[in-house]
Amino acid sequence: MRRVGTTKAALLLVLNVSGFSRLSAQGFPAKPPRPTPLSPVRFPPFKEATLANGLQLVLVEHHEQPVVSVSLSFRAGGIYDPLGKEGLAVLVAELLNKGTASRSAERIAETIEGVGGSLAASASEDFLTISADALSDQLGLVFDLLGDVTQHAAFPESELALARTRALSALSLSLSQPASLAGRIFGKEIYGPNPYGRSATRDSYNAVTRDDVAKFAADRLRPTGALLVVAGDVAEPQVRALVERVFAGWRGRPPTPRPLAPPARTAATDIVLVHRPGSSQANIVLGNTTILPTDSVYYPGRIATQVLGGGADSRLFLILREQKGWTYGAYANLQRYRGLGYWQATAEVRTEVADSALSELLRQLDRIRTQAIADSELAAAKGFLVGSFPLTIETPSQIAAQVANVKLLGLGDDYLRLYRERLAAVTPLAARAAAARLYRRGALTIVVVGDATQLYDRLKALAPVRLVDGDGKALTPAELSPKAAPVALDPAQLAPHTDSSRVLFQGNPVGASVSALRRTADSLIYTEQSNLGGGAFQQTVTLVLDPADGSSRRLDRVTIQQGQRSEAHLTYSGGRVKGRSAMPQQDGTTKPFDIDTVLPPGTIDEDAVPFSVPAFPLESGKSFTVSFFSPSDGAVKLLTFKVGAQENVVVPAGTFQAYHIAVTGSRVPFVMYVSTTAPRRLVRTEYIGQPLVVELVK
Amino acid sequence: MSMPLIALVAALLAAQSGRVSYESFALPNGLRVLYSEDHSTPVVTVDLWYYTGARNERPGRSGFAHLFEHMMFQGSAHVKKSEHFQLVERAGGTLNGSTHDDYTNYYETIPSNRLNLALWLEADRMRSLAVTQENLENQRATVKEEKRLRVDNQPYAPTFRSAIVWPFDSATCFAYAHPTIGSMGDLDAAKLEDVQAYFGTYYAPNNATLVVVGDFQPVELRRLVSQYFVDIPSQAAPPAVQCDYRLAPGMVRREVEDEHANLPAAFRIFRLPPHTDPDIPAIELLNVILGQGESSRLNVGVVRRDRAALQAGMFALTERRGPGVLVAFGIANQGVAVQALDSLIGAQLDSVRRVGVTADELSRARNAFRSDFIHERETTFGRAEALQHYNLFHGSVAEINSDLDRYLAVSAADIQHAATKYLDPANSLVVIVRPKAAPADSGATK
Repeated sequence: MRRVGTTKAALLLVLNVSGFSRLSAQGFPAKPPRPTPLSPVRFPPFKEATLANGLQLVLVEHHEQPVVSVSLSFRAGGIYDPLGKEGLAVLVAELLNKGTASRSAERIAETIEGVGGSLAASASEDFLTISADALSDQLGLVFDLLGDVTQHAAFPESELALARTRALSALSLSLSQPASLAGRIFGKEIYGPNPYGRSATRDSYNAVTRDDVAKFAADRLRPTGALLVVAGDVAEPQVRALVERVFAGWRGRPPTPRPLAPPARTAATDIVLVHRPGSSQANIVLGNTTILPTDSVYYPGRIATQVLGGGADSRLFLILREQKGWTYGAYANLQRYRGLGYWQATAEVRTEVADSALSELLRQLDRIRTQAIADSELAAAKGFLVGSFPLTIETPSQIAAQVANVKLLGLGDDYLRLYRERLAAVTPLAARAAAARLYRRGALTIVVVGDATQLYDRLKALAPVRLVDGDGKALTPAELSPKAAPVALDPAQLAPHTDSSRVLFQGNPVGASVSALRRTADSLIYTEQSNLGGGAFQQTVTLVLDPADGSSRRLDRVTIQQGQRSEAHLTYSGGRVKGRSAMPQQDGTTKPFDIDTVLPPGTIDEDAVPFSVPAFPLESGKSFTVSFFSPSDGAVKLLTFKVGAQENVVVPAGTFQAYHIAVTGSRVPFVMYVSTTAPRRLVRTEYIGQPLVVELVK
Repeated sequence: MSMPLIALVAALLAAQSGRVSYESFALPNGLRVLYSEDHSTPVVTVDLWYYTGARNERPGRSGFAHLFEHMMFQGSAHVKKSEHFQLVERAGGTLNGSTHDDYTNYYETIPSNRLNLALWLEADRMRSLAVTQENLENQRATVKEEKRLRVDNQPYAPTFRSAIVWPFDSATCFAYAHPTIGSMGDLDAAKLEDVQAYFGTYYAPNNATLVVVGDFQPVELRRLVSQYFVDIPSQAAPPAVQCDYRLAPGMVRREVEDEHANLPAAFRIFRLPPHTDPDIPAIELLNVILGQGESSRLNVGVVRRDRAALQAGMFALTERRGPGVLVAFGIANQGVAVQALDSLIGAQLDSVRRVGVTADELSRARNAFRSDFIHERETTFGRAEALQHYNLFHGSVAEINSDLDRYLAVSAADIQHAATKYLDPANSLVVIVRPKAAPADSGATK
């Protein structure tokens, strides 16, 4: 209470000094305030040492909070996986803390988590890194565990089996995510046989044996060339003593790796279109391989990439998102590896604008490669890259990550000191030259993941398109379109019945529909009477069918729409439909027309959908593509019915166990819920993207 | 120094760790300001919370709070469209905003010599948001893409986003019975007048708190805040939000299909009391013991021993003034029946209700919280968010420095009590997610 009192008094004092009236006279400043002087930021000091066994040690002392983070990195990432055993480094990392000669996996987890810490290992392309975090009074325990898992990991067979199961499931999960699918295929395309482009597969995970794991760890997890970084609230003598105790007796160096295969050289820009049926977006990734991490073109390249797609202030974001509203985000970045890196631009856009978005991406690429960046834009990019540097060194683990990055990529001892100066010195011409060199416009790899039925035609105008499925297997455009085939209706489901339904618009009842199926001596007769909007829309349908197979014989349909009457009278016979129908016009009138058309075998009148679909041989997982004749369009449509799992559906008529059937191919896709017990009934229909629902009342 | 003294100093220092010192003041228009100095790095975070979020939305306008958050980046009287991003990024800063159930936050972490810029930007849009039809259409399209990207086009996300609101009845508690991201239909329905009215009601100085943490001088902060914010008029208090709900109304099971999932999954969702409820610390420790970390029960039991799940765990949504949810989940390993996975998860939960937790588990959970409390306060942004959290969800900001004690005082009996009460099957919603089986091109009639 007292503190609040004093601060209020202080506030009044400030206000009195500046004066309310003067403030309002001055008003709110119309321009952004100018920067105040900034004290120079130096990279926090750190200490380095190399032990007799070749282990490099970096120590960052930082006493703000009583925490410590420790990381130990080896050149043992995925690029060292033997061919056909991709994923080995990932499995080794996963297994390191799953048991040692003296501790079980559970014991390790309980020990570190018992003190509120964490210990985990991960493998990237270049490195395998073990990281631990804990409160600083637990540093001894952290070192004990780190020493144990690096030198005495047991790799039990049972743990490998478990890790493999999880890895396979995780692979399946990642293949279901469009962005990871795009990334996998992009990597494979740009690197070709070079190990940076490989990804684990089911086969490669299954090929890994316990011996592979043990041998990889024994060969590659060696002290020479490894990097140990300790950062946080610790003192040098204590760290040195612990390093000595835990790691001094450890010896060895990893074998010199063979030179990596050169990456594929893409001859010309083309598009790999990855078919992901039903995808609501197109994920676009484009780019190519670039440079080694020490190449000095990195600095102007970093500036150019920042201008192109570095964030919300970049060209791609401003144009694709802020101007066009095509995407949630569009970015470009440079990836550095110890070996050859790559650059990429990415955007996830809605399917209809995929071609426009891709053209715009390419246009922006041309622009930055050929036109010098304006001074204001250059200043903005430098302002961000140089100015944000202090934000990346707030915590000891952030500082440690910066130092580790420099050491592991071999960027040189002056890198951190000169990084900001080197960026600040980049000229517009240097940035343009770097863009022209790094972004290989004539030999780009473009990967698009999305629904190829909607994307193929849009994209092929931009560049040659190679169509593949999610596994990378080639597809032909013909394989994208489903073929219709007749469906045998189940007579047991066509039992006489009467259904009353109501129609809801935005959740409010707006009308009702009564349908009935009855049998006569030689026919099956379906009638449907609908009344919506208090008589504004009325329709009567009478459909006569062959009782043997449910095929259509005759349709009579009368529609009254806001006073306008239109009729359809059709006869189905001998594979043709004949008669007269009417098409509603935009001005509210209807235009009659004659019909005399040959129908594909098995074509059903469109009015039969509500009772014929329940008579399909329904089963979860099946899909049917069936040809329907639409009397109001006078044309045949292919509707595809995908039968999903069963769900509980509650409608006024009761609660039903029902199949979820997604229907596509009509102007508005819809979902039908069909009860599972015979005779099956249509209990609910929902129209996708429309506030319209029809549900069974009795 | 004698040994006992060293130990005493160490204990004192330990007690101080993670402490946040702060001061506060308020402007006559009702804007409350909290600040905390830290000169170790020349960085400052400006974090502004408006007390509105999904809970303030009305039926037919779900997703509106989030759509509005996007509008806040579309320009104001002195800041053109997109200029907000540009000014902050060119100054070397980072920024964002996010919409939650109970609040919407806007923040900048920026080199400390640009504190004035961050405050000026926040003040300009609080006083004069530029709302145009064009901006609304553009952001509506952007938000829809965000929904497609983050939710509709991802495995499990659509189900999860829907499922966490199912425990509540939209008739009695619309606030927590609809997803934050909203529906496409409601997003389409949002009109320019809605945006203006929403801004007028909720984006008022008396419905917000400003927090500043980092390298600045308090006198300068007060001068800038007064200059930029003092003449923004306060507004009538926003309408109150009602939420009636009942614990344990009976178990509900639902099965849903996920178009993008390759593996089936099981969720069990339980209703929780509001954040101020004294049971919350015990519930959160229970959450850690059952579902957080390698040594959690769900991981050790269901993932490792039973090999039934690729991933299994638990998390709690408790940052609400209304009821929250606790979610246990598992993604089935290939070849594992999802019903079997669901039973295995259920068995783990039941065992805590029947037998309670061990002393080791309790100690592990307490240490996890001790460590979290320190880690979440390492950065200026983390401290700013913590101050805001205590200001909104606790009786007093001062609890920022005493709350950990409540967590450390939770006993094994408290946890078993919480498990018995909240993990009651009658309090649960069981959701089974099945992959959509047939790919589109798997052919016709089989």
